[in-house]
Amino acid sequence: MKVSVKWLQTFFSAEGGSASGGRASLPDAQALADALTFHAFEIESTIESTAQIGHAVSNFVLDVKVTPNRGHDCLSHRGIAKEISAILNIPMKNDPLALRFNLNSTLRFNLNVSIENPRLCSRYIAGYIRGVKVGPSPDWLRESLESIGQKSINNIVDAANYIMFNIGQPLHAFDAEKLVSKDEQYSIIIRNARKPSFAKASAGEGEKMVSLDGKEYALTDSMLVIADGERVLGVAGVKGGKAAEVNEATTDIIIESANFDGASVRKTAQALKLRTDASQRFEQSLSPELAAYGMRAVADMIVQLAGGELVGFVDEYPVPQEKKELSISLQKINSVLGTNFTQSQVEDVFNRLGLPHTCDEASPHRIFKVEVPFERLDLEIPEDITEEIARIEGYDKIPVADLPSLKDAPDINENFYQTEKIREELMQKGYSEVYTSIFAEKGERVVANKVDGVRPYLRSNLSEGLAEALQKNVRNKDLLGLKEVKLFEIGTVWKGGKESTVVGMAIETKQGGKITEAALNPIKSDHYDDFPIPDDVRYRPFSKFPFIVRDIALWTAAGTKPEEILELIRKESGSLLVRSELFDTFSAKGGSASGGENRPRISYAFRLVLQSFEKTLTDEEANAVMENVYKEVKKRGWEPR
Amino acid sequence: MQRGHLHPISSLVRQSNKVFFDMGFSLEDGPLIESEWYNFDALNVPKDHPARDMQDTFFLKPQINAGNTQINAKNTPTLLRTHTSNVQIRYMESQIKKGIQPPYRIVSMGKVFRNEATDMGHESEFFQIEALAIGEDVTLAHLKGTLTRFFKEIFSSSDGAASVGVRFRPSFFPFTEPSVEVDMRLVGEHVPEKLRDKWMEMGGAGMVHPNVLKNSGVDSKKYQGFAFGFGIDRLAMIKWGIDDIRLMHSADLRFINQF
Repeated sequence: MKVSVKWLQTFFSAEGGSASGGRASLPDAQALADALTFHAFEIESTIESTAQIGHAVSNFVLDVKVTPNRGHDCLSHRGIAKEISAILNIPMKNDPLALRFNLNSTLRFNLNVSIENPRLCSRYIAGYIRGVKVGPSPDWLRESLESIGQKSINNIVDAANYIMFNIGQPLHAFDAEKLVSKDEQYSIIIRNARKPSFAKASAGEGEKMVSLDGKEYALTDSMLVIADGERVLGVAGVKGGKAAEVNEATTDIIIESANFDGASVRKTAQALKLRTDASQRFEQSLSPELAAYGMRAVADMIVQLAGGELVGFVDEYPVPQEKKELSISLQKINSVLGTNFTQSQVEDVFNRLGLPHTCDEASPHRIFKVEVPFERLDLEIPEDITEEIARIEGYDKIPVADLPSLKDAPDINENFYQTEKIREELMQKGYSEVYTSIFAEKGERVVANKVDGVRPYLRSNLSEGLAEALQKNVRNKDLLGLKEVKLFEIGTVWKGGKESTVVGMAIETKQGGKITEAALNPIKSDHYDDFPIPDDVRYRPFSKFPFIVRDIALWTAAGTKPEEILELIRKESGSLLVRSELFDTFSAKGGSASGGENRPRISYAFRLVLQSFEKTLTDEEANAVMENVYKEVKKRGWEPR
Repeated sequence: MQRGHLHPISSLVRQSNKVFFDMGFSLEDGPLIESEWYNFDALNVPKDHPARDMQDTFFLKPQINAGNTQINAKNTPTLLRTHTSNVQIRYMESQIKKGIQPPYRIVSMGKVFRNEATDMGHESEFFQIEALAIGEDVTLAHLKGTLTRFFKEIFSSSDGAASVGVRFRPSFFPFTEPSVEVDMRLVGEHVPEKLRDKWMEMGGAGMVHPNVLKNSGVDSKKYQGFAFGFGIDRLAMIKWGIDDIRLMHSADLRFINQF
């Protein structure tokens, strides 16, 4: 979630934000990012942004990767501010969730809200404001929204969005006059979209909704909608519809602040391929208590920005959220973390996080009772409290301790014992180990949802993969300096209705290759063999371009060492030479230029492999290297054959 | 006869098994095709929860098998495992069935799968190493100690021991509480300059969630413990300076014969 540092600062300034009201300054953006990284969430980026509305404003925006367990409360500036307050121990001066108010209205208005299935909608609050003046938002509001990548629409829509990004409660505004009323009685029904057969629209089709951006969505009966007496006004928790859109002509509005079931919203948003800022929040499950704070805040803001008269609220909340309390002992916290935190250290963390608590001092275990704030739906079990202590205190406080030794020795894994033996045997015979993909062109089992669609089957043998690998490596034989390519793989196959591990071997032959495959039979042992672990090497990237092989054979005087010649060849052929070796030697009498009549001489043949890291080498480039080598060997009196 | 080459993954598996064996861990394995129960539900990953999206899963089409008349959701293999954590559940369950109570210490290494596009840093099939230690008094501090020793042995070279730093950051996994992200830093003159003194992200870990113990039949009031899961491919990339994870499954001797 994008978090504006300037926005965060508002929670640390006294009401109104004036300098005289007292203001705790937050540290710079980098310090905030570090605090969150080591005590709360990963920060994906920290970007400086400059908004240009009237005057230049410099700000920083943190992209915070809120973990799925904290979507309940931390997909909001208030949630992140609360974290920062706890981590850095800077008290919040202005916490919107600490306000006390009620939604009881003295005025009544003619709106009836009915929830068909309270399991999918645990609360629905409608607020009615009459006589608003829709217009552009003030600069501070536009700046705030734009700083986190949101577009400003008008003061009503912007207020609803601002409150959502401020405290995490999605909100929606309907144009009240566009709702269908009966005898001056409005009704809002939260129900599933109708099945095709019941649809009033056209036979054979289910209900539809045209969204604010003009797209039409076909709905199914598993989707929850907001409807007036007749039409769908919005898809619950996902998006509002065109039917009751707020625009410049709007004067009376109905605001929705509701709580929808996370799983249901998630399925609907997935099915419609419509993930919105609202659906993302509902998907994580929100507290129904939050809806009241959302309604109070947005109603006040709209009246302040757009005028009008707040007529009243209707609050359908069949089963209020239960209060939760967790108990955990100091001893348990320390025994899980391996720490020696004191009672006052733990209590300090509770205070910083705003978790009301008591401690049973009479108990030798110091049992804490912690009241869970309504928005912290993630705090479910005592272990969750342990995590709060650990992360706020900091994981650097966790000591490093060795596990105590156990009475019994570990078991010997028979499968591993055997595969290790096979590896060693095959390597001694010159086989090198490969791993190939388990995905194949054919097989018994098939993947239903493979992203790339290729090779969707699970292999029923290793042979096909090994044949492919053999062919590929035989082409590189000279580059690898191998006389013959030998490969093996120990891997899983799915055959005859079961999963098993087999060993496959591939060896190069004149006809191409020979591949064999065998089952494994575990061997019992009371110890593992001490097979070598290869010495340290550093991987060197290799060129993916084709190579060129050139041989050079030379007559030399007897006694000439081949190493001496190789050294010269390596020096003179330059960076394109990737491998060079002696591959043939023979001695002869009788002569030529190399040393006169009948003096013994010796012929060496060398193989040179040339390759470039940048491109495919041409014959001309290889020739140029060889010409230089020939020139230099001649200077030394070695005679090319 | 010129000796063949051991694949770097096998080399790390061999070495890791030795390190963990010495710390009292038994090597355990489990199936690659797994049921939703062992891969998700038993690990406290609820259905219809955003956490389930964290690991993109390869699902298999049902197998037509006339001989198998018993359909048991708990045991019906329907997906390619997304982590080696299925081994934790299977192991604890079988120990309890045999009447063997903790302490348990196991390490598991094998292939896991993620249904995602591949690039230099991501593969749809890769290897994971996972360890689980359960007892009456196994703590998060023991996790730090175990990891410090493991990294030290894996990343020290023959010309000198590396000094290893292990750092935890807060994280979230449904199967652990608390959950942490593990960073490692290598210090010492023998450490290649590219890696020296740099914090590197290694993977996830934490204290086993009580629901995971309960789901395996272990008394979560009496026992607790840690678990971690890291990519072996990633460990290999750091250890040998390998720049492309796809080389692991390339079967290319230009790569393998360097080891």
